[in-house]
Amino acid sequence: MSRNLTEILRAEEPQSPPTALDVLKDAVADHGELTDDDRRRAARLSGLPEAAVYGISSFYDDLLAPRGRRHVSVCTGTACWAADFGEHVGAVQDALGLSLGERSADHGISLGQTVCLGFCHTGAALREGDLVDAGPDVVRRVAAGSCREAPEPQGTSMLDEPVLLREGDWSGLRSALERDPAELLAAVKDANLRGRGGAGFPAGLKWEFAGRAEGDEKVIVVNADEGDPGSYIDKHLMERSPELLLEGMALAGYAVGASRGFVFVRSEYPRSMPILFEAAERARDAGNLGADIGGSGFDFDVEVKEGAGSYVVGEETALLNSLMGLRGTVTARPPFPAERGWHGKPTVVNNVETLCNVPFIAANGAEAYAALSPGATSGTKLVCLNERFASPGMHEVSFGTPIEVICNTIGGGLVDGHEIKALQIGGPLGGILPGTRLETPFDFDELAAEGCMVGHGSIVAFDERTDIRALATHLLEFGAHESCGKCFPCRIGLQRGLEMVRQDGPVDRARLEELLETLELGSLCAHGGGMPAPIRSLIAHFPDELGVA
Amino acid sequence: MAPEQPAAAQLEVFIDGEAVQVPKGSTVLEAARQAGSYVPTLCFDDRLEQFGACRVCMVGVEGGGPPIAACTTPCVEGMRIDTTDATARRVASNTVELVLSELPRPPAPHTELAGVARFFELGEPRWRGARHEPDEDQRHPYLVLQHEMCISCGRCIRACDEVQGAFALTATGRGFSANVTAGLDSGFRDSTCVSCGACADTCPTDAITEHLLLDLTSEIATNGEEGEGSR
Amino acid sequence: MSERFEQTTTTTCGYCGVGCRLEAHRADGNVVSISPALDGPANKGHTCLKGRFAHQFARSRDRLQAPLIREGDGFRLATWEEAINKVSTALNGIKADHGPDAIAGLASSRATNEDCYVMQRMMRAAIGTHNIDNCSRVCHSPTSFALRKSFGLSGATGSFDDIEQADVALLIGVNPTQGHPVVGARIKQAALKGLKLITADPRRIELADYGRIHLGNRPGTNAAFVWGLIGVVIRDGLIDEDFIARRTEGYQAVEEMAHTYTPEAVEEVTGVPAADLERAAHMYAGADRACILWGLGVTEHKYGSEVVRLLCNLALMTGNVGRPGAALLPLRGQNNVQGSSDMGALPDTFTDYRPVSDDAVTSMFEQRWGVEMKREKGMKIPEMFDAAVAGGLKAMYIFGEDVAQTDPDTAHVAEALESLDFLVCQEIFENETTRYADVILPSSSFLEKTGTFTNAERRLQLVEAAKEPPGEAKTDFEILMTVSAALGHEMEYETPSDVMDEIAEMTPRYAGLSHERIGRKGLMWPVAADGTDSPILYTDEFELPGGKAHFAPLPYKEPGDAVDDDFQLILVTGRRLEHYNAGTMTRRTGNVDLMTGDVLEIHPDDAAPRDLDDGGIATVTSRVGEIKLPVQVTDRIEPGHVFTTFHFPEVRTNLLVGQSSDVNTSCPEYKVIAVSVEHAQDREREPALA
Repeated sequence: MSRNLTEILRAEEPQSPPTALDVLKDAVADHGELTDDDRRRAARLSGLPEAAVYGISSFYDDLLAPRGRRHVSVCTGTACWAADFGEHVGAVQDALGLSLGERSADHGISLGQTVCLGFCHTGAALREGDLVDAGPDVVRRVAAGSCREAPEPQGTSMLDEPVLLREGDWSGLRSALERDPAELLAAVKDANLRGRGGAGFPAGLKWEFAGRAEGDEKVIVVNADEGDPGSYIDKHLMERSPELLLEGMALAGYAVGASRGFVFVRSEYPRSMPILFEAAERARDAGNLGADIGGSGFDFDVEVKEGAGSYVVGEETALLNSLMGLRGTVTARPPFPAERGWHGKPTVVNNVETLCNVPFIAANGAEAYAALSPGATSGTKLVCLNERFASPGMHEVSFGTPIEVICNTIGGGLVDGHEIKALQIGGPLGGILPGTRLETPFDFDELAAEGCMVGHGSIVAFDERTDIRALATHLLEFGAHESCGKCFPCRIGLQRGLEMVRQDGPVDRARLEELLETLELGSLCAHGGGMPAPIRSLIAHFPDELGVA
Repeated sequence: MAPEQPAAAQLEVFIDGEAVQVPKGSTVLEAARQAGSYVPTLCFDDRLEQFGACRVCMVGVEGGGPPIAACTTPCVEGMRIDTTDATARRVASNTVELVLSELPRPPAPHTELAGVARFFELGEPRWRGARHEPDEDQRHPYLVLQHEMCISCGRCIRACDEVQGAFALTATGRGFSANVTAGLDSGFRDSTCVSCGACADTCPTDAITEHLLLDLTSEIATNGEEGEGSR
Repeated sequence: MSERFEQTTTTTCGYCGVGCRLEAHRADGNVVSISPALDGPANKGHTCLKGRFAHQFARSRDRLQAPLIREGDGFRLATWEEAINKVSTALNGIKADHGPDAIAGLASSRATNEDCYVMQRMMRAAIGTHNIDNCSRVCHSPTSFALRKSFGLSGATGSFDDIEQADVALLIGVNPTQGHPVVGARIKQAALKGLKLITADPRRIELADYGRIHLGNRPGTNAAFVWGLIGVVIRDGLIDEDFIARRTEGYQAVEEMAHTYTPEAVEEVTGVPAADLERAAHMYAGADRACILWGLGVTEHKYGSEVVRLLCNLALMTGNVGRPGAALLPLRGQNNVQGSSDMGALPDTFTDYRPVSDDAVTSMFEQRWGVEMKREKGMKIPEMFDAAVAGGLKAMYIFGEDVAQTDPDTAHVAEALESLDFLVCQEIFENETTRYADVILPSSSFLEKTGTFTNAERRLQLVEAAKEPPGEAKTDFEILMTVSAALGHEMEYETPSDVMDEIAEMTPRYAGLSHERIGRKGLMWPVAADGTDSPILYTDEFELPGGKAHFAPLPYKEPGDAVDDDFQLILVTGRRLEHYNAGTMTRRTGNVDLMTGDVLEIHPDDAAPRDLDDGGIATVTSRVGEIKLPVQVTDRIEPGHVFTTFHFPEVRTNLLVGQSSDVNTSCPEYKVIAVSVEHAQDREREPALA
């Protein structure tokens, strides 16, 4: 749907009506599947055209498959795949007697798939209702109807004073409110805080653009749609340090001149949203959010919204579309969200971890922040390790720490004497580092030189049993499934790439490379543009196993 | 809306070596057209907001960076554009080949897609994978929607929204299953469609067209000559 | 596109007053497809379903393909020679026996400027009467009258482009997304980009959903409503004193009268909440640039012309005339409502509204045509029918108009047509009116002729033949030339372009017009001799003595019809998107599949006590007639009102319309008809004369 309509819909309304997506999600929660009456109701309540609502209802995974009274989703993310090469996906289908997307005849139970529940430290995860269970025997438990809550990962900081693995105390905000917003902006710029969501864009510049953009009302949006399979960093921060995130948001609002913020949380993290709600309520009660915070005259409040199952919605323009309740497709930039974002207003979109760095900067200054890191990039980074490691979980490290240290010293190597065949770092769009290159430091430039990226900071190890052709198929299945369908190279190219590796014969290397070039250079966003990276790594490091000729 | 703009600030850019003056805010595509350089497009329509989906308008920028989409990239002072850049052309051509590969039959010769395919000298696509399943919606007295010929360029949706304001069309699905439909997938008749035909006018593949023209086209295709004028 | 079509002709749509430029594509001798011209100044590459699929009616098997002459109760095929002979003999006979004023002609707002000009010349020069009128009488004559009185010229003060430049637009008595779909779309897009719309209509029109304020004033209370706006503007000091002082006359009287129209008093009359009225007045007067658009919901009333003058007052007192984005835009119903009157197909004026009573003007035409003419004006349409019934009018030549279907008080019209000794119809289809004809001459659709139409922006645009008329049918130009010659008055034109040259020569305000100059972009009159046209009128001076505009202190008066115990609801009539007027053309296209019949829209509160459900049949009775039609229950219409269209002859909606008409122009009061609505016990839908 065209942009002008979404903007006029809110032109005269101070209160946001429910978005179409909100109404549709409620309908699915209420009766398991969408009817045309639900769609008409969503159109009426949201003000969107009926056709647009149909389009929305056909986009999101959460709205597509009909649900039974029990609804089970099995994780098809990369960490779960690395654990058992997808065996649990077949096992749960056999155990429940349902294929993926199917509902039992009596509507008693339905089975869906979900890409990463953020329990990558435990292996083979699945979800029933809002309960996530994971680890050995999970399939047996779901079949018996006795799922239990999976254990959350441990978090350890390699620093003397953790910057991120701590709960916010609002001291950064109090300190900032005593000074001019321009000082805070300058500090964040001087600290050279780079975005932690993948692209690494300087957060201070984003804030500056939005602050300068025309428009009275500005908006802070937290990208908490941590869709990268293998990553559970933002989940960890939202659930363990929710007030740190809220403090970071308020600081962003103060620097930019926004009084309204949204956290857009992916629906695959059922625990995050209630924790954030409660934290926001605590912050309001304590006078850290709301009107005239600390008597400074600064107003800021936060709404928490939930997604509906789409990886690409992690891209900032798609995220804003989803936040407005529209199809989560990517929009060509410019205009950038900083000029024209949520309902046309200048909008800062920052990732969770990025904002969690801000309270430290506000309290301690840019120099102290830069001093945290021996590497080229200032500050600290959370990395998370998958179930293959002997000590999986969350670790706060300085930039520049060698990968080898992260994997073997911190992570304790792989379990049961397995060996690292390859690592995928930073999510599905990151390159794959062979086990022979672990000396590489964990930082933007050094990883880029290896065709890899910091990305989200996840490290998924594949052990020596891993079939590289199957890994390529797994990655491209994910890529094709999650393509938003807007730009042609990604929409068709990932399907063709998947078809190339899924067939049995050798893969035509020249054709594949031509396709990867088209994807990389032609795609509208980082999804199509980034999917070639791991495939290129596989061609470079494992050509024979991949079967290219 | 705004009062007449004062003579808009101009920028100078170079298109295939030729200097052109364009108003600030112009896109590279607009500059190229002004310079008379042909840049193929599929999802672009002058009357509609730019979309940036087809990636067929890729051009090279001097300085060695990756190619850019001409329709969504604003001109910058002194920018040097090569519309014939080999990498850009290769990416665009491969993209058009991908598009042809998703259709169950070649687009009719008069369509924009067929014209762009001729420009890139593309024949039968090399890809042999999944194609769109034939699915033709004939419920409207004038308009036909051949879902299988839809390439999700979004032009019909934008025409419906931005020209007519009927908001009868939507993109559906995602990824390779992306398509377009009217109303609650209920056909043009049972939607807010006002039958203005703006969607058919802009469609680059005849996925949306008129019954009568479809008959005419198929007669040309089968008889090699023009057919009966009326049904 | 080229390989599918043998030829593509750019022409101008023959439906409504928007004036879409169209590309007509031909294959195998027929127009098989129409697409909008991308450079069309009014449509900017867009069109609606009527224009796009117009080729279907042009190809219809029902088209008249040979002349018909009455034989008993029916007609027989005739040769052109025979038919023309019959027409000239009969008309010359009546002229000899009863004088030329026993004959009257109707030109068509559907026809080209050139055809209208030739038609009025034929009536004036070949017959010798000023009894020539056209169907703008029944739609926009009040607009023309009022604009001339207030500003000087009979036309929109600006163009559709002003809509996109305006900050605020007031839409009153007009439903553009149905009646003028392409302008409706332009308004909608402008609203989506920030144009603030104020809509005033007894029905909640679609554009109200895109607007800021909707005011559902009761039918027939437009004058009180506009006075209400004027009153608030004055009370709250929102007038443009400088503009009033420099450029207008007569403001004082308006100011004095305005005090009686307090928002509360106006609420009493119109039903519009006082607060809404105040908000609307502030929005309009507070805008830097504001447009007013109106349609037949303003004009087709007893005091329609006076309401137009009040709208002019409102624009004048806020300085919203003669600037970009500040235009008064009447949306004309038919493709050439503007032009047919501009061309002098009126009983009192020659081209450019110069009166026949002006000796200098009439003498000039006498010299040019080599005839003598009276200085007294002829009969308007309603007077023609009265005279026919009374016996004074013996013959009519009706060109491209279905008066028996579209004119009010259908029973009276039928009686008039029956009373005539001789009726000629020049038509493309048989219709209600041709049933009374003695001779039917088969003519051409807009796709088959050459000339110009003048759209609602005063823009003349070229019409070019995309195909031949079917069978033996001829172009209207050729028929009128032949008839005139047979009547003894040979016209010297070879092509319609020659006619335009004469129009330019005889009319100072049209001096620069020619087909060549009109070209693809059109020209908006006045057109100077050097070809400079006028997108915006009155930028410096009004076209009235002294160059000043005139305010009009005209009080609100009650409509000609009102509800009482017997007739409890007000019927408003209008158009729907899918069909056009009498449906003669659109019912011969696939549009009939999209809208299959007229329905009566009624509010749930009015439907329930009458036991009416969706699809149920209602009997609608007015003081003059009764019809039956199916019901559609909707809250888009205010309680107390019902709405229907007049697209389907079998329903014969206009049986209900009485003789009430505009006090200045005789435009019928189609918009306020007191009716009773009841559940029809039987399911028949036969129309009946009361």
